[in-house]
Amino acid sequence: MKKLLMGTLLSTAVLLAACGNGDADTTGDPEEVPEEAADATVIRFLNGFTGGDGAFMKEIVDNFNDSQEAYFVNEFQEPEHYTQFRTGDYELVVMHGVNLETYSADGLIQPIDGILEDVGMSMDDFHPAAEDLVGLEEGHYGIPLDIHPLTTFYNKNVTEEAPETYEDLVALSAELQAENENMYAMGIPDSGLIEFYTLTLAAQNNVDLLSEDGRYLDFAQEDLADALWILHNMIYEDNISPAGLGIDGEFHAFMQDTEGDSGGNQTAVALTGPWYYQAVSDAYGDDLGIASIPQLGDQVAVYGNSHVISLAASVEDETMLEGISAFMEFLYQPENLSNWAASGQAPLHTETMNYIEENVDEYPLPYQNQQMFDDYVAAPAVYQFGEQIRYMNETVIGRIVREENLTREELMEELENATGVAQEIADTAPDQ
Amino acid sequence: MKISKTVSSLMFLPFLLFFILFWMIPFLYGLYVSFHSWTVSGGNGGFVGLDNYIRILSPGNMYHDSFMNALGNTLYFVVISLVPLVVFALLLALLIENIPGKLKVFFRTVFFISYAVSVTAVSAIFKWLFTGNGGYINNVLQGFGLDSIGWLNNQPYAWIAVLAATVWWTIGYNMILFVNALDEVDDSLYEAASLDGANAWQRFWNVTFPSIKGVFVFVTIITVIASFNLYGQTLLITEGGPARSTMSLTMIIQNTIFSQNNLGMGSAMAILMGIIMVFITLVQFLIGFRKDDNA
Repeated sequence: MKKLLMGTLLSTAVLLAACGNGDADTTGDPEEVPEEAADATVIRFLNGFTGGDGAFMKEIVDNFNDSQEAYFVNEFQEPEHYTQFRTGDYELVVMHGVNLETYSADGLIQPIDGILEDVGMSMDDFHPAAEDLVGLEEGHYGIPLDIHPLTTFYNKNVTEEAPETYEDLVALSAELQAENENMYAMGIPDSGLIEFYTLTLAAQNNVDLLSEDGRYLDFAQEDLADALWILHNMIYEDNISPAGLGIDGEFHAFMQDTEGDSGGNQTAVALTGPWYYQAVSDAYGDDLGIASIPQLGDQVAVYGNSHVISLAASVEDETMLEGISAFMEFLYQPENLSNWAASGQAPLHTETMNYIEENVDEYPLPYQNQQMFDDYVAAPAVYQFGEQIRYMNETVIGRIVREENLTREELMEELENATGVAQEIADTAPDQ
Repeated sequence: MKISKTVSSLMFLPFLLFFILFWMIPFLYGLYVSFHSWTVSGGNGGFVGLDNYIRILSPGNMYHDSFMNALGNTLYFVVISLVPLVVFALLLALLIENIPGKLKVFFRTVFFISYAVSVTAVSAIFKWLFTGNGGYINNVLQGFGLDSIGWLNNQPYAWIAVLAATVWWTIGYNMILFVNALDEVDDSLYEAASLDGANAWQRFWNVTFPSIKGVFVFVTIITVIASFNLYGQTLLITEGGPARSTMSLTMIIQNTIFSQNNLGMGSAMAILMGIIMVFITLVQFLIGFRKDDNA
């Protein structure tokens, strides 16, 4: 038995020694840094661009690396990049605007004003909507990259013009239904992109979701119930959308148009994410129209998420900061950032926006989406925004969309529940 | 061949080593973390004793609500999946055992091959099949003049879709275990039973089942454990909906740890889940042995 114990301990010691070499270098795979960049300062740049847009960002990074020898940007495109960032060592990270409050409160990112200054830029170089995205109390926690707002795609074969108002949608649906009972103006999903619908309706009805103390999302408001009830009416009263579309239903119903006699409900318009552009463009070709979203409430407004580039809290080294400044200076040139626009994203950098405006044919989607920036309303900056709104996304909106007989009292009760969850999440914020 | 104690101990060492490294240490570390306020990014925020467990088990907070909801969902899935995954697998195995040799190999392979497909691919296929608007199943229903069903956004249909995907995906594994067990049954027992005038059911109940009972209990236990770990299908097919009704324990634990950045609470949930699984497995063992005693 003693021999067994000794053998176990010895083997464990050998294995542990082999695993831990004492140098916690998480630079990533060293083979990813080419030999010619061996003497360069390596900047680890993490993002979640694992879809079609990843190739466009890679091209920008490659161009930067080819343009000079002092710095090498080692880009990591990871599907779970937030988890990677929390547990690994990176200098730069692409974040969604709604996450800045959380990551700054957790001490994972730092203000990036110094970098902006080094590059000779300020927030004046961006569309004014950018300030609400990156501006927190202690400074700017990211350099704005783009906004991806709720976007209208429509089938030009069915409707020549995109609907601009709720009344337009009612009229369009009635017209389509007269010819084909499976045709509707648009589709309301019960989950998926529903957060965009919620915040857009709140903005269009002038509902401020931020609680009085600025810590949590306050959903328990009669005005919000009124705004969200529009979704219910669109399905069960005005027949604008079919019922029961489910996850990502707005996109799938729109794509039914091109799939012949599929037996499903079809829509003429989709209010969806711009990341579906490639799919709808492939399906519709020249028949695809792109427009700003219609006014469903009292005023014109749109919500969407955004990408910003943030600086890890751990970065202090001057050479590293200089390298990051050099990369930012390169990225925020219209001829380089337009590569990002080529992916369908709409940059917030004004010079690049001007460049896109001059080349509308090359960038139809970013051009259309940047038209909505003036009406853009950012999400409230609260700790763990995604978790605070999760109950709304997973339960409340689904009930509004699925349950024809839902009452206003039941809705208000659910909004109270959602607020309760948001408050509990807010309470988990670290002490400032 | 006689092997000395030293050699046999040495041969056992690799297992022991990896058991300690990849099971015992992570388990004990998880237990340790569960007694602390611990975030993924910030690390240890201090000892909190049983606070995490108390919050999960005390009504009136989101951790309790989400854990209990997920526990209920998971237990529901365990119950509805047990019969198809165990009994249907046994029926399939019996069917295969009673067909000619070459066909037997063919069907055994056909039924088992789905097990080699990744959960992502399985989920993608079944999501497409059960999509409410324009999905394959609804198109077939409409072809017969029936109404469409909102499979993925209404209950009990969402569970049916998840169950169908799970059964299609994993039934082959249980079936193979039963096929191997059936191969081991002594043919002379069947001959004797036939001579005694036993019919097919009597042969199964008095000869086949007692002979494979050990494997049956084993398959039941591993199926319960596998169903308890429900994750990929509900994440990818229903995304936990509608209204969190297919949110499993593993999904809630993952969400608590990585989305809420609360490793301490998530670890406590995982430990509680483990305790529940051990308890259920123990009950199954005891029932299995009791039946053995009675046999």
